[in-house]
Amino acid sequence: MATIRKKRPLFRLFMYIILIAASAMVLIPVLWMISTAFKSNEEVMVTPPVWIPENPTFDAFARIWKDYPFGDYFLNSVIIVIAATLISIIFSALAGYGASRFRFRGRGSFLTFLLITQMFPSIMLLIPFYQVLKTLGLIDTHMGLIIVYISFTVPFCTWMMLGFFDSIPKELDEAALIDGCGPVRTFVQIIFPLSLPGIAATAIYAFLQSWNEYMFALILTTREEMKTLPVGIGQLNGYYKVAWNDMMAASIISSMPLIIMFLFMQKYFISSLTAGAVKQ
Amino acid sequence: MFTNKGKRVGYWFIMPAVITLILLVTYPLLYGVYLSFFNTNLINRWDFVGLEHYISIFSDTKFLKSIWLTLQYTFWVVVGHFVVGMILALTLNLNLKGQTFFRVILILPWLFPEVVVALLWKWLFNPMYGLINAALLNLGWIDQPVSWLGQEKIAFAAVIIVSIWKGFPMVMMLLLAGLQNISKDLYEAASIDGATRFKAFRYVTIPGLMPVLSVTLILDTVWWFKHFNMVWILTAGGPGNATNVVSIDIFKQAFEYFQFGPASAMAVMVFFICFLIGYVYRRLLGNGND
Repeated sequence: MATIRKKRPLFRLFMYIILIAASAMVLIPVLWMISTAFKSNEEVMVTPPVWIPENPTFDAFARIWKDYPFGDYFLNSVIIVIAATLISIIFSALAGYGASRFRFRGRGSFLTFLLITQMFPSIMLLIPFYQVLKTLGLIDTHMGLIIVYISFTVPFCTWMMLGFFDSIPKELDEAALIDGCGPVRTFVQIIFPLSLPGIAATAIYAFLQSWNEYMFALILTTREEMKTLPVGIGQLNGYYKVAWNDMMAASIISSMPLIIMFLFMQKYFISSLTAGAVKQ
Repeated sequence: MFTNKGKRVGYWFIMPAVITLILLVTYPLLYGVYLSFFNTNLINRWDFVGLEHYISIFSDTKFLKSIWLTLQYTFWVVVGHFVVGMILALTLNLNLKGQTFFRVILILPWLFPEVVVALLWKWLFNPMYGLINAALLNLGWIDQPVSWLGQEKIAFAAVIIVSIWKGFPMVMMLLLAGLQNISKDLYEAASIDGATRFKAFRYVTIPGLMPVLSVTLILDTVWWFKHFNMVWILTAGGPGNATNVVSIDIFKQAFEYFQFGPASAMAVMVFFICFLIGYVYRRLLGNGND
């Protein structure tokens, strides 16, 4: 491939055109979101629309905290997502290690089952969860949504962790065993610290999944102060008069945690996501 | 470690995950199947009806229409993801200058919550003040504003475009990783043997990419077949039934009409379809080493 690059400037130009065109398709909507969020109520409704607001204002950003229970939404999301992420990391790291290092009976079916869970339409779980949580009195609680989110993050996270542990040489475990470490100590003191990049990636995935989840939260919360960000933002859309600037401001705020986290950890993320998925 | 005692230790490690899967996945799932045999409002009415819901699902064309619509939707979305994702992955794999920069930008749609993406596009499609109408009017491609989400054919296409925009980065990343796993030696060997670039692509890249390709294809198809969020916010299944994909259909059946039994039966059928898709793909693409 290297030779092709040197020989063909035209080819390279063509490749840059593809990249720039694709980036434009991605960036135009995103920039439009940012532009809208900084507009005043009047300017949002100007035709033809303008790209740069004449009087950029933070009003929309202030309004979402004042006029809507956005603070509640945000706090609910943070609590639920952090709890769900921590629990799924612990469970999936343990399971990933177990499946990577031990050849126990039922290992194959366990792994297959993890993959099959990806086939379930989540709507199939929605009705039973609704009924079960109602019976247990967990509608409108953080606990209810945490439970639900664990159920769909654990399987895929386990796959990711498995791929990651498989890439750590087994000789390390054997050396630890010879030095007298039990399996638990080997895991906690030797393998776990080595797998922090993989855990970071898995954490991003679990965080992303739960932070973005909409359908379950829509049905399993009813009181305004228990709703999560996606549900809260989604229902702004249902109001009679839609305030697009407020909605875009809320959208930006709720996307920030993911984007910031990703920028810091993207290196780990891509390598490990693929370690898990590619090995399947 | 590989002694009998060691084998048992493995169970302890997977125990928390297994308990989670049994309590939070298997149990609700079986409960869902159970519900599909009842006429129930989940409160006080529990009439056992056997297979009645399944029979009516297949005799009534509404559900079949919705499945057909979902298949079409999924087909175009997955084709879009793979065409765009493959082109970009191949381009990014050339290690051009600035490729990290492009990669970060191209991943962006994947990072935005689906709700946000749907709202953003709803705003772009807005018939009165939306950017798309303004741009097209300005270019002279349309004479008057188009109601993108208000007309059946156009709304369906619009929903597909948004879904492609949101989902291509995932496919791109997975394919890129697959490409980077192909050993450079293979390309060298091919060029020594006098292979053209096309031949190298056909006989080195494609086979090397096959395992990733098949897993990505299965996951992407199944994920989008059961997609709900963005379609719900963009059109809620409308106008008419133009974007009434099966998840929306089931959702309405359950939580708008409170027909939990029929909705559960429909969900069970969707599970079988997803399972079948996975199975067919595996047979078609050959299961390689997995």
